[in-house]
Amino acid sequence: MEKLFIKATKSTPEVNLDSDNNNLLINGQSYPENAFKFYEPIFNWVNEYLDELETGVQVQIDFTLPYINTSSSKCIMMLLDKFDDAFLAGKNIFLNWYCDQENEIEFECAEEFKEDMNFPIEIVSREDN
Amino acid sequence: MSNKMFVLQKELREKGVLISFSGKFSQEIIEELGQAVKKYLETENHPKTDIYNVFSIFIEQTQNIKNYCVSKQETPAYEQIANSCIVAIGSQENNERYVCSGNLIYNDDIDKLEKIINELIGLDKQSLKKLYKQKLKQDLPPDSTSAGLGLIDVARKASSPLEYSIEKKDEFFSFFTLKAIV
Repeated sequence: MEKLFIKATKSTPEVNLDSDNNNLLINGQSYPENAFKFYEPIFNWVNEYLDELETGVQVQIDFTLPYINTSSSKCIMMLLDKFDDAFLAGKNIFLNWYCDQENEIEFECAEEFKEDMNFPIEIVSREDN
Repeated sequence: MSNKMFVLQKELREKGVLISFSGKFSQEIIEELGQAVKKYLETENHPKTDIYNVFSIFIEQTQNIKNYCVSKQETPAYEQIANSCIVAIGSQENNERYVCSGNLIYNDDIDKLEKIINELIGLDKQSLKKLYKQKLKQDLPPDSTSAGLGLIDVARKASSPLEYSIEKKDEFFSFFTLKAIV
């Protein structure tokens, strides 16, 4: 399966979905003009990836989302739901969510997503310059 | 030449306005102003959480207005509505920041808008969170551009209840003003 890489812009995060290493990374601010349009190829890629994923393979997801607007939040929720469904179907999925140690709102935001998920999410403190 | 700019500047100062933009909102303008607001507040050494709240309220309010304008693209008054937008970020007593925005709306949209905002004003933080999460999990129609979460998020991030006014201009339009305080 082909990897998916999207370069960051001012209002969209870097996306690096690597099926070879089973490492899925989203890193950066997200408040595009049309979040659903931006996340659509990511949804499609993840759907295909999870379909092909063999049980037992460890999937590592890394999120660093310093700011996400509400429509991006909706998309992140849809993404997490896909991972959660896969986890409940027996797939091995783990998410590290990196939050700015000086910004408690980022932690709260990550916590709120975590509340609704069954798969393991680790909220990790990060240091920004 | 008259001193109109000086008068305008004086008024902006008196209102504590740090940054303001009036005209058609584009994604580029929203991004540039958002970054400028953030930079400005950083130099003033505000807590990171306050900067984050001002920034996110600014983004939600302006993107909300922009989405409203886009939804009226097919109506004859589109240009008039799109050019009626204004946003100001400023400071006021008690070291508070505010994000205040305004735009023309169709009178037909008043009831719906008032209902949404009045509901939000009546909710405490815990109920706002509940409503937000409920909406976050709701399925959306396939061609949605917005999740209907923006105003709830603004209400959650504001430190006091939202303030708004709707002033009738004529039989078709009203001017809607929304103020959120951090």
